[in-house]
Amino acid sequence: MHEALLTLGFGIVTASILALSAVAFTLEYAVTNVANVSHGEILTVGAYAAYLVHQRTGSAIAAAIAAAIAGGLVALAMHSAVIGPFIRFGASPTVVFIATLGVSFVLQNVLVIFFGAANVAYTLDPGAPQHIGPFLLTPLDIEIVVSAIAITAALFLIISRTKFGKALRAVSQNRELARVTGINATRVAGATFFLAGLVAGYAGFILAESVGSFNPYFGFGFFLITLTAAVAGGLGKAFGTLVGAVMVGLILEFAGGYISASYNLAIAFAILAVVILVRPRGLFTNARRTVFE
Amino acid sequence: MSAYLISVLTEGAIFGIMALGLNVIWGWSGDFDLAYYGYIAIGAYMTLVLTIGPAVAPAHYILGLQLPYPVAAVIAVVTAMAVGLIVGLIALRHLRGIYFSIVTLGAVYVMYVVAGQYVPLFDGYNGLSGLFDPMGDYFGFDYQSYQYFFLGLSLVLFVLVFLLMWRISGSRFGMALRTLREDERAAAAFGRDIYRLKLKGYVLGAGLGGFAGALFAAYLSAFNPSAWSPVEVIVLYSAVLVGGRGNIWGVALGVLIMGVLVQESTRFLPQLPGLGQLNTLHPQVLLAVRGAVIGLVLVLFLRFRPQGLLPERRYVDREPTLEVTARTA
Amino acid sequence: MSATATTPALEVRGLTKHFGGVYAVDGCSFEAPLGQVTGVIGPNGAGKSTAIDLISGFKLPDKGTVLFKGRAIEGLSPHHISRLGLIRTFQSPREWPGLTVLENVVMARWDAGREGFLRGVVGLGRAQRERSADELTKAREILDEFGLAALRNERAGNLSGGQKRLVEFARIRMAQPQLVILDEPMGGVNPVLGERMAVAIEGFIASGTSVIVVEHNLPFIERVTEHVIVMAQGTVIAEGPFETLRSNQDVVDAYLGEMVKQ
Repeated sequence: MHEALLTLGFGIVTASILALSAVAFTLEYAVTNVANVSHGEILTVGAYAAYLVHQRTGSAIAAAIAAAIAGGLVALAMHSAVIGPFIRFGASPTVVFIATLGVSFVLQNVLVIFFGAANVAYTLDPGAPQHIGPFLLTPLDIEIVVSAIAITAALFLIISRTKFGKALRAVSQNRELARVTGINATRVAGATFFLAGLVAGYAGFILAESVGSFNPYFGFGFFLITLTAAVAGGLGKAFGTLVGAVMVGLILEFAGGYISASYNLAIAFAILAVVILVRPRGLFTNARRTVFE
Repeated sequence: MSAYLISVLTEGAIFGIMALGLNVIWGWSGDFDLAYYGYIAIGAYMTLVLTIGPAVAPAHYILGLQLPYPVAAVIAVVTAMAVGLIVGLIALRHLRGIYFSIVTLGAVYVMYVVAGQYVPLFDGYNGLSGLFDPMGDYFGFDYQSYQYFFLGLSLVLFVLVFLLMWRISGSRFGMALRTLREDERAAAAFGRDIYRLKLKGYVLGAGLGGFAGALFAAYLSAFNPSAWSPVEVIVLYSAVLVGGRGNIWGVALGVLIMGVLVQESTRFLPQLPGLGQLNTLHPQVLLAVRGAVIGLVLVLFLRFRPQGLLPERRYVDREPTLEVTARTA
Repeated sequence: MSATATTPALEVRGLTKHFGGVYAVDGCSFEAPLGQVTGVIGPNGAGKSTAIDLISGFKLPDKGTVLFKGRAIEGLSPHHISRLGLIRTFQSPREWPGLTVLENVVMARWDAGREGFLRGVVGLGRAQRERSADELTKAREILDEFGLAALRNERAGNLSGGQKRLVEFARIRMAQPQLVILDEPMGGVNPVLGERMAVAIEGFIASGTSVIVVEHNLPFIERVTEHVIVMAQGTVIAEGPFETLRSNQDVVDAYLGEMVKQ
C-alpha cells in the first residue's frame, strides 16, 4: 500500500493537493470534533470514480466532476451513517476516532474486493514542462495548482461570507450554543461533510494524476500527511491548516531532496510528534496543553 | 490433527498473546495505542537478527548472531520494551485521547518506514529469513513432530501469559491501571503517579507484543515489511473489543471469534455465482472480505455493544454482616 | 522548622495565576488552622476553583507559596501532594464510574507497597492478604456509616448525583488525609443529604482530618464552620466569623455585584 506513497516526491503540486485535503479534513473536524480517519478513503473513492468516468467518457472534466461528487457522497455517508449517530449516542471523540478507523479499513477492503489491490495506472497528458519562477512545471501541474488555489479561495469565501459558513462557524465554536440559537447542527455538519467531500474527492483525482497511479490504500497513505498538516496548523482551524499544509509540503520537498523521498512519511510524523508535544493545539496558537491544564 | 488445524491453533495462541498485551494498554490503562503492532514487529525482527547468523551479501542487517532461540526471544522482548518505553515517555507525558493515538500512529509509521527503507537495519524491503524450526535440533524433532511441539509451546506460553494477566487483573496494580482509564484526575487526587503508572502498563504491553513477535518469527521463519503493516492492529482491537475490553476471558473469546473464526471461515466462502472474475482473484479477495468484516464488526460493536460479549467483571462483595444492614437500611 | 501546634494545616501566601491577561488568582493569602473547618466563599469567578487547582498541584502557580503543615508544596505534582496528606475533591464528582462503589472506596487509599507491577504478579503473601482484608473491612464499615452498604456492588457511574457525593466523602474517609479541600460539595445536593454531609464533615474533624470547604451555599457554610474566608477577584477580601462578615461592606458589594449580574 505504501509504494505509491513512498515514491511520492514532494513539491508545489503535492503541497497544493495537500492543502485541499487538509482543509477539507479540518472542516470535518471543526463541525464534529472528530478526527475522521476515513478521510483518506474519500480521496481514494474520488480517484476511482474519476478513472471509471474518464474511461467511459474520455473527458477529464467529467472525471473531475465525478471525483468531486463521489467524494461528497462518500463523505456525507460517513457522517450520516457513522459519525453523526455516534455523536448523538454520546460517544467520546476517541471512540468515534476508532470507529472511523474501522470505516477506513472497511472501505479499503471493499475497494480491493471490487477493483483488486493492484496499482491502477492513470495519467493525463502532462504537456511540455515549462519554467515558472524556480519551478519546472507541466501545463497539467499548473492546472492542478491553479485549480487547488481557486477551490481553496472559494472554500474560504463560503466559510467567511455565506449564511451557511456562518452556521458552520457557529457549530464549530459551540455545538450546543448553535443548537440553542436554532441551527440544526446535524444538518450543518452533514452539509459540511458533503462540501469537504467534494473538495477531497477532487483532491483524490488530482493526486492520482500527479502520482500517475493509485490503489485502494493510496488515500490512507496521503491521509497520514494530511493529518500532519492539519495538526500542525491546528485541528478545526481552516486558515491555520492551510498554512500548515503549505509548510509541511515545503519541508517535505526539501527533506525529500536532501534525505530521500522514501522517508517522507517518517519525516512528516517526526514533525507531527514535535508539533503535538510542543504545541498540541497547532503552531499558531499560544495554548499549551498538559494533562490537567 | 491436520496440518491446517495445527497452523490455525498455533496462530491463535500467538494472536492471543498479542491481544492480551494490547488489553493491558487499551483494556486497562485505556489508551488507544496505534504503535502496538510495531512492538510485535520489533520482537520478530530482533529474534531473527539474533538467531540467523551473519548476513551473506547482498543481504545486509545488524548483529547477525546465532544465539539460542530462547535467549534471542528474551533480548527481543527487552528491545520491544525499550522502544515502548521511549514512545511512552514521549506520548504519555501530556497527551491523551486522539493526540496520543496520532503520535503513536506516527511512531509506528516511523518504525515501518525505517525497517522497510533503511537497508542496513533489517535488510529493508527484503526483510529477514532463515529461522527454521528453532530448538528442533536440540530436541531432535523431525518436521512433523516439530509442528506439534511448536503448537504445544505456543499454547503453553499463551496459558502462562494468561495466568500472569489473570494475576495482574485482580491485583492493586491492575486496579490502579483501571482508575486511570476511569478518571485520571481522581486517580491523581488519590495519590497515583499517573505518568509512571501508565508507562508501566505501556511497557508491559509492549513487552508482550515483542514476545508474541518472537514467537511469530519462529512460526513464520521470516519477517519482512509485507508480513506486517501498522493497521493490522485493527484486527487485534476488534478481538479485544468483541470479547470484552478489560476482561481477559473476554479477550480470549475475542481472539477465538475474530482471530480464528472470522479469519478461517472466510476461507470457506462459497464461490459466488455471477462474480466470476472475482472468484479467480480468490486469495486477495478473501483477505479483503475478512478485512471488511473485521472493520464492520469493530464499528458495530463500538456502537451497539462497546462492553463486548463478556463485559469486564467487577468484584461482588457478599459480606453477610453487611447484607443485614443493607436490608434494614 | 518545628511543626508546633500553632502551625496551620495550610498556609497560602501571595498565590498568583494568570491565563493570558486575566488574573484568575491574584495575590491570594490565607491560613487554615489544624483540626478545624475553614469555609471559603465568594462569587462566581472569584478564583476559588483555580486556587484549589494551584494548591493541589493540578495547575502550576505563577507566584506564591503554599505551605502544608509548614512544608512548601507549590510546584509539586498532584500525586505527590496527595501522598503527603492533602486531598482535594472536584466540583463535579469524579468517581471511577466503571468500578463498584466498594472498589471506589478501597482504591481511594493509595498503597505504596502494593501497587507495583511485581507485587501484582508475585505479591499476595499472608501479610498482603491480611492487609487487603483489613482494608476491605474498613471500606465496608465506612460505606455502612454513609448508608451506602446496599449500593456497594453497584457501578459508581450508575449512582445519582447526591449518592456520588457521598461516595466521594466515603473515599476521603478511607484515604484519611490530614487535610481535605472540598470543592462545592453541596452542588446538586438536596437539603436532607446536606445535613448528612455536614455530619460527615464533623466526622472528618473527629478522625483527624482538617477541612477546607469551598462553597456557594452560605447556609451550609454557616452550618459547618465559624471561620470563613471571602474571595473575590482572585484574592481574599475578608476573613472572620459570619456575623462580622455580614456587616462588611466589601463582602456585601462582592456578592451584591454578582446578584446584579444575575
